[in-house]
Amino acid sequence: MLPFAADAGQVHLTSQTRIVAAVLALFFMLMILELIRRDRLQERYSVIWFVAGLGMLAGAAFPGLLEVVANLMGVRNTNVALFSIVLLLLLGLALNFSVIMSRQAAQITRLAQERAIEKALAEKRAGANGNGASGEERLEPEKERLES
Amino acid sequence: MRTLVFIPAWNEEAALPGVIADVRKAIPEADLLVVDDGSTDATAERAREAGALVASLPFNQGLGAALQTGYLYALRNGYDACAHLDADGQHPAEEVARLLAEVTADRADLVIGSRYHAGAVAATGDYRPTFSRRVGTSVFRFFLTLATRQRFTDTTSGMRAANRRVMSLFSQRYSPDFAEIESLQLAVRQGLRVEELPVRMLERAGGSSFLTPLRSAFFIFKGLVVLLVGQFRPRHAETE
Repeated sequence: MLPFAADAGQVHLTSQTRIVAAVLALFFMLMILELIRRDRLQERYSVIWFVAGLGMLAGAAFPGLLEVVANLMGVRNTNVALFSIVLLLLLGLALNFSVIMSRQAAQITRLAQERAIEKALAEKRAGANGNGASGEERLEPEKERLES
Repeated sequence: MRTLVFIPAWNEEAALPGVIADVRKAIPEADLLVVDDGSTDATAERAREAGALVASLPFNQGLGAALQTGYLYALRNGYDACAHLDADGQHPAEEVARLLAEVTADRADLVIGSRYHAGAVAATGDYRPTFSRRVGTSVFRFFLTLATRQRFTDTTSGMRAANRRVMSLFSQRYSPDFAEIESLQLAVRQGLRVEELPVRMLERAGGSSFLTPLRSAFFIFKGLVVLLVGQFRPRHAETE
């Protein structure tokens, strides 16, 4: 009998590992709550982490779930199924962050542009009011100095 | 007819005053704006001394963002036409004036100054592009022509003139990473009249080109991805 085949279709989780996993999942979710409470994490970005925590908890409480999922995926080894799911989840999260980052980069750029334009306009107004002369006239001597 | 000439500048303290003086002489009727892209040298001070209005980005954002700042400024302040040229002294201002004339005569929405256009090659004895640049240029020329079904010879030219339709488009959508090429594709896809004009360009007066062979290869690869993706972007209705 192949040891591999004997493993197939069963989830080997002792009650000890299940308790450890459940405690970790709960701890994880508490940590997220704490981060939100301290304004270190915004609610809108926390939802996805709560879902992940709940998933961990569900896996610990009902190991049979994993088997069902593995069967649905057509994967014989539940460990492979578990790792595949986690890997895909992390990939999705990383992509999600790239999307958020891109949006924020665009927002930062626009903010920088707006500020630059505002400052330039303020400078222009100050220059126009300050001397009573237009910027061009005022700066003629400078231009000559540069050319000489 | 109000005209704005803007110059994106990043650490170009050496060449910039000369460029500003050149623009003032060749296009005296235009307002002048230097977009200082987070320079760490005295670019902004030199520009102010030379009599230009300076819009300083608080940190370096890349050429695309700097150019977009200029378009946004022109749009907001009601300019009828705008033009931009490089700060390193490669672009003679009298050539920029010719581009602006095309726009103000309403023969095109966006005019590109081309150093490779048939008419320009003969006239340009003093501009010799490096090998990396020649390869990149021909690759982009081929693919952009394929993408837009319009012949472009100088896809990365930083000497352009535009009217309000272009300002409105570019101030909303302008790729921060790949400004020159994607903007051409975008403009053509939006149904704008884009035209190339042969111009004379000079060797750079200061600073050094950022193109090394490896960077060029990466630049080309990135450009092709951008062009490919650009072909699948939705065509937006013009908004102003």
